[in-house]
Amino acid sequence: MIRTEKLCKFYSLHSRHEVRAIRDINLNIAKNTFAVFKGPSGSGKTTLLNVIGALDRPTEGKVFIYDEEITSFSDIGLSRLRREKIGFIFQNFHLIPRLSSWENVSYPLIPLGIGFKERFQKAKLLLEKVGLGDRLDHTPEELSGGQQQRVAIARALINNPEIIIADEPTSNIDEETSVHLLELLKELRNHGVTILVATHDTNFQKIADKIYKIRNGRIE
Amino acid sequence: MKLSEINNMKKHINLFLLATENLLRHKTKSIVVSLCIIAILLPFITAIAISEGVRMQSLSSVEESADLYLTFDEFGRNAAIPLKYLDEVKDVFGVKKVVPRIIGRCYLQDKLAVIVGIDKEYLPESTSCVSGRIFENASEVVVGHELAENFNLTIGDQLSMRGQNRKLFTVVGFFSSASNIWSASTLFMSLQDAGDLFGKQGFATDIQIYSVPGHNAEIATELYYIFENEPYRLQDKDMIELYVKKGFMLKEGIFTALYTVAFALGIPAILVASGFGLSERRKEIGIMKATGWQTLEVLELISFEQLLISLFGATTAILLSIIWMKCFNGAFIAQFFIGEINLLPKFVVPARFLPLPCLLSFFFAIILTMVGSIYSSWKASTENPVASLK
Repeated sequence: MIRTEKLCKFYSLHSRHEVRAIRDINLNIAKNTFAVFKGPSGSGKTTLLNVIGALDRPTEGKVFIYDEEITSFSDIGLSRLRREKIGFIFQNFHLIPRLSSWENVSYPLIPLGIGFKERFQKAKLLLEKVGLGDRLDHTPEELSGGQQQRVAIARALINNPEIIIADEPTSNIDEETSVHLLELLKELRNHGVTILVATHDTNFQKIADKIYKIRNGRIE
Repeated sequence: MKLSEINNMKKHINLFLLATENLLRHKTKSIVVSLCIIAILLPFITAIAISEGVRMQSLSSVEESADLYLTFDEFGRNAAIPLKYLDEVKDVFGVKKVVPRIIGRCYLQDKLAVIVGIDKEYLPESTSCVSGRIFENASEVVVGHELAENFNLTIGDQLSMRGQNRKLFTVVGFFSSASNIWSASTLFMSLQDAGDLFGKQGFATDIQIYSVPGHNAEIATELYYIFENEPYRLQDKDMIELYVKKGFMLKEGIFTALYTVAFALGIPAILVASGFGLSERRKEIGIMKATGWQTLEVLELISFEQLLISLFGATTAILLSIIWMKCFNGAFIAQFFIGEINLLPKFVVPARFLPLPCLLSFFFAIILTMVGSIYSSWKASTENPVASLK
């Protein structure tokens, strides 16, 4: 389902130094796989997930999703891919500060032309599923870190994605929420969703179908 | 209608509603940007309305006045014409009526007043609005509203002016503040009295000729023979109208030039105001893009926001301009278009709010807000979401 060929991403810092975040990464992840990427900080996990998830473009190499080369997609094509197939869970949650929980969750539905009531119902269902049914109208600043992460998870699920990409999802949340998140991801995997997680959490590694160890931008 | 078209329409509605919500959510920013727009547009709309009002009144004055204006020519300028020619002009074929008048200026203490000397039966219709009565006897004057208020004049008061001859006049009536603006600082008196005042007995500044339609050319030919050896000057209504229009275009032009400078200086203010929360906005755009929003959808949302705030700002500026005219009589701006009036005019300053300047204001507001926001938003929405989310 997800395949990469010689994937590289380099960053130029003030044109002096070139940082090679990932180098020659070849991956082949089948549908419905729970894949975990582990490695020390700065090893290139986040960059790899960003490139696979179409949030960033590689410097060299190719990414295929369902045998379609997404690296050649236009900006519109990439947006459509993110909208239809991929859900992101970020380490820093990335919620919009002034919006309530349900508004944050339903935000991706606005450009789809879905009406207010339907958006609210969908968001409510997902927030109830992540245990935040009583926090629908709370803004991010009124929620704890764990609760914010659950809102972000609900938002990632709003479009029924086929791929979930989670970057260090448990680094800013408590143990209990972490376990809850793990259960949720397991359930999603059981429903046919492909999950890619970058994490140090050993609990995730225990249930992973595949573990990729990254060091200095390469898979070991 | 196809399902995709319906969804597309719903998308635009969603984006419009979200834009409204965003403006309400970011109240401080919305208020600051609106205030900038209002501060920039209010003087412009008011000035254009006054200019249009005064122009309209001038043109209607020209419209109700004579068909031809006869004066003498001295050094290429209008000069006084002797009244001895009056009967000859009156007898020209096609002439319905001739009205000699004296229009001059002199000081009433420190205040410059316009003196109009005309026989009472020829007073223009627009000057009929009076309290008291029209002058009937020698040395009687009807005083404009502003002058009367300035010197606390009442009927029966006596006044004298700094003319060539010291002469005592008795106030017998006033023009109301609602009458034509030209009458505000005007003193109306008989032709005889005006001649006495300026020491020009037997002369008029011009002779107004009312003609039978279509006879102006014939009259001009006849006048040529009457004034064969005299330096006379004949102007028709169209020419006067052209002068009036030209004068206002010049004033509007000067105002617009000055205003363009102010407008250009206002852009940085809008840029600063629009820049509030830009980093927060950039991150928001990053989140939108990461969750599947397309660049055009992001830009549409931001354009709706700018459109709404421009509409609000421009509409408020128009409403405040109307209130400014009603309550403060165009204070501080009217003096630019009407000479020798106070900061707070004591007569009703005419104003006309035409659709085109109002539309232009809205257009200005859109340009201002777009300049302040669309580039940064476009930049944020076209870069990789990862960059915007940093």
